Amino acid sequence: MEVQQGFRSLFQKYLLVLFMAVAIPLAINGVVEAWFGYRDQRARLDQLLGVQAMSAAAEIHDFIYGITNDLGWLVQLPWNDEPDERRRTDALRLFRQAPAIVALTLLDHRGLERLYISRIGLNRIDSRTDRSTDPAVIGARAARTWFGDVTYNRGSEPYLKIAIVGNRPSVGAVIAEVNLKLIWDVISAIKVGKTGFAFVLDRPGRLIAHPDISLVLRGAEEATSRPFQAIRDAIGSAGVGSATGRDINGRDVAAAAAPVSGPDWTVVVLQPLSEAFGPIYAALKRTAAILAIGTVIAGLLAYALAHRMTEPIRLLEEGTERIGAGLFNHRISIETGDEFQRLADSFNRMAAELALAQEQQERIARLKRFLAPQVADLVDRTGDDGVLKGRRTEVVVVFCDLRGFTSFSAEVAPEQVMSVLSEYYEVLGRAITTFAATLISFSGDGLMVLVNAPVPVEEPALRAVDLAVEMQRSVQELIVGWRSRGYRVGFGVGLASGSATVGRIGYESRFDYTAIGSVVNLAARLCASATDREILMDAEVAEGVGGRRSVIGLGNRQIKGYDEAVPVFGISFDTP
Amino acid sequence: MPIGESMTSAELNAVTCGGKFGRIGRRDVLALLAGAAAWTSPSHAQRSAIPVIGYLCPESPGLFASRLKAFHEGLGEIGFIEGRNVAIDYQWAEGQYKRLPALAADLVARNVDVIVAPGGAPVALAAKAATASRTIVFEMGGDPVQLGVVDSLSRPGGNITGVSSLSVEVSPKRLEMMHELRPTAAKLAVAANPTSPTVNTQLEKLRSAAEILGVRLEVLMASSEKEFEAVFAAVTKEAARGLVFTSDPYFAFRSGQLAALAQRYGVPAITQSRDFPTSGGLMSYGGDFVQSHRRAGIYAGRILNGEKPSDLPVQLVTKVELIINLKAAKSLGFEFSPSLVSGADEVIE
Repeated sequence: MEVQQGFRSLFQKYLLVLFMAVAIPLAINGVVEAWFGYRDQRARLDQLLGVQAMSAAAEIHDFIYGITNDLGWLVQLPWNDEPDERRRTDALRLFRQAPAIVALTLLDHRGLERLYISRIGLNRIDSRTDRSTDPAVIGARAARTWFGDVTYNRGSEPYLKIAIVGNRPSVGAVIAEVNLKLIWDVISAIKVGKTGFAFVLDRPGRLIAHPDISLVLRGAEEATSRPFQAIRDAIGSAGVGSATGRDINGRDVAAAAAPVSGPDWTVVVLQPLSEAFGPIYAALKRTAAILAIGTVIAGLLAYALAHRMTEPIRLLEEGTERIGAGLFNHRISIETGDEFQRLADSFNRMAAELALAQEQQERIARLKRFLAPQVADLVDRTGDDGVLKGRRTEVVVVFCDLRGFTSFSAEVAPEQVMSVLSEYYEVLGRAITTFAATLISFSGDGLMVLVNAPVPVEEPALRAVDLAVEMQRSVQELIVGWRSRGYRVGFGVGLASGSATVGRIGYESRFDYTAIGSVVNLAARLCASATDREILMDAEVAEGVGGRRSVIGLGNRQIKGYDEAVPVFGISFDTP
Repeated sequence: MPIGESMTSAELNAVTCGGKFGRIGRRDVLALLAGAAAWTSPSHAQRSAIPVIGYLCPESPGLFASRLKAFHEGLGEIGFIEGRNVAIDYQWAEGQYKRLPALAADLVARNVDVIVAPGGAPVALAAKAATASRTIVFEMGGDPVQLGVVDSLSRPGGNITGVSSLSVEVSPKRLEMMHELRPTAAKLAVAANPTSPTVNTQLEKLRSAAEILGVRLEVLMASSEKEFEAVFAAVTKEAARGLVFTSDPYFAFRSGQLAALAQRYGVPAITQSRDFPTSGGLMSYGGDFVQSHRRAGIYAGRILNGEKPSDLPVQLVTKVELIINLKAAKSLGFEFSPSLVSGADEVIE
């Protein structure tokens, strides 16, 4: 469970990191692109609206200066005292040319009104009213062209008074009343984008031109003009370029302004932001779409990569678990062609070696059963049981058994038999261990021991004799006790030395180490012919001892299975 | 002067696009649905599905044709076309102005969406008297503020707005022009309709103008076609050198008749309507009715689109036109002064 969680979190980590690695640069790129796109578009919009405002202002300017230009024709000729019919004709012709002019006043060089004509009211010819103190006349004399404040005829139609003087005093002056409603033609023709438009405010901020004439006709009202003033003020406070705000319909708009010199008006052009920023929104949408697609791709890629990276780890983990559980024949199959594969290969090698090691371990464990612990340790240390291979070698075979054991075992209770055997083998085992001999087999009271195989020892004969003496001594000690309990048993040992075939025999898990050859028979026979307290050995053993022990020749004895009598030797030992 | 014309067309492009298409789209759909429903009961379906304009007309269809055309043009600029997405319920008074209140009441009862009252103050006043809730768009020559039709030009107030052609305002200008044509005349005749709501103010203005110009006025009254001939006869009898018609729709719609009488009696006359010189009369000076009726159509359309009449200021026409007929002058045995000819918007030769 824990392993599973660890695996999962590793996958998640990889997934997250890989995803981030793709998604973050993508997102940064998108945001940067959107930001610069916005700035570029914003700058372009500023520029565009600025140009539109200037061009609109130029058109309004043209409208006004078209009128003043026309008026200029009425101040060309010097006045005299006679009524001037031609001027009236000229003035009426101007009426037809300039529909915005609703009334004209012509003044002579003294500032006296010589002609007043109107589209609505009655004309006045040569009224000679002194108009020299009229602000329009004073203004025009100061600056050649004078523009009055916008007034609202009957509180509705915006009117502008324009006065101009000729290039010399004798030609007098002309004052015209202009119906600004007719700027509508100009203003409604100005298009900013698809739905943008322009409007005009006078100096105090009253609406004097707008594509919706209904608004212009209420321009004198503060409530009508206020939202337009707000836009103008917003642009003013934003400095150069455009400003954003709300129009009367509550739409967000971008606006720019330009002044109309002369009457000192402001032309404002505006465009709904939805339209002005249309390209930005389109670009943002594109970026968002690309980001979304990129994110999905990044996710898939990250998933695939994380999977590819963690899958070998998962396989390794599973493999090691199995190997750990003892399945050494399990192999981890990773074909990624990288470090993972290398790791898997070394895991597999390790598993194979572990299998080998375990096999050997088992074999050695089995060997310990019949090898002396020292020998077993030796085999264990070398890790090689090659010593157990079948070969022919010089060995000393030691046989021993109890005398009168068969009748004893028939007389006493099995518990007592087992108790006696137990004591017996205990002392024998100790002796075998002490002399590093190899226990080959035991059956009932008989025991076969091998010296010099499988591990060769120095002075095998001497060692075998000492072993036999030790056996006799320790068993005789036991026999003293047994006899006191009334058990009539004795103990005899036989030794023979010679060449024998030694090696492992058996099948599958049941293996024994044994020796085959006449020397084994001879030792068995010598043992059989030995009486209690007797150790019998053949000539070869006696020779091997070489006088270092008190070996006594017992003469030739007839031994079963041997045609001739065999020379037999004995050895005396201290008995308790 | 194309300024007035183009103003109306571009006006709505710039201003009303936003709401217009949406609404028309919806109406189209409704009309379509109604068309399906109309399979069984056509008249009923049409009534309920598309908006209806109640058109209160003081005259007969023949006399009103040119005005109606201009009105349709105005409606069309907002996107309304009769029979397609708007229905018009016409009420013709056939020149009997006394019938107007009854016809107006009839339109109110028929539950029309907007009442259009063109062709003069009597029509507007009849419509205004008939309803205080139904929206009314008027077209008249008089001053709607003075007549009490609206509170002010910029804020009409209530349920009524419209267009004034300034024809009544310029009555004294007609006297001035006739005086210019007959500078030596000591006496000029003025024809007035005693039933007109504006008759008193017009006569008052004319009298003060006559004082300035230094002529005497012979005021002649006529309120029906029968009395026309007597007017011309009186001009000759009273030795008046010219006849000035006050602004009055009844006179304006009978320009052809008046022109024929003027020719017959050899009387130089001036009226408000361009129909007079084009039918052989001498001259006319008055507001451009094509412009005023067209704008009435635009206002009717904007109101159908949901705008409130109180938000639509009363419009004054920007064009007051002078039409002169040189042929008529020649047959009367005199010539126009160069200033009149140069100031004329249209010269009929």
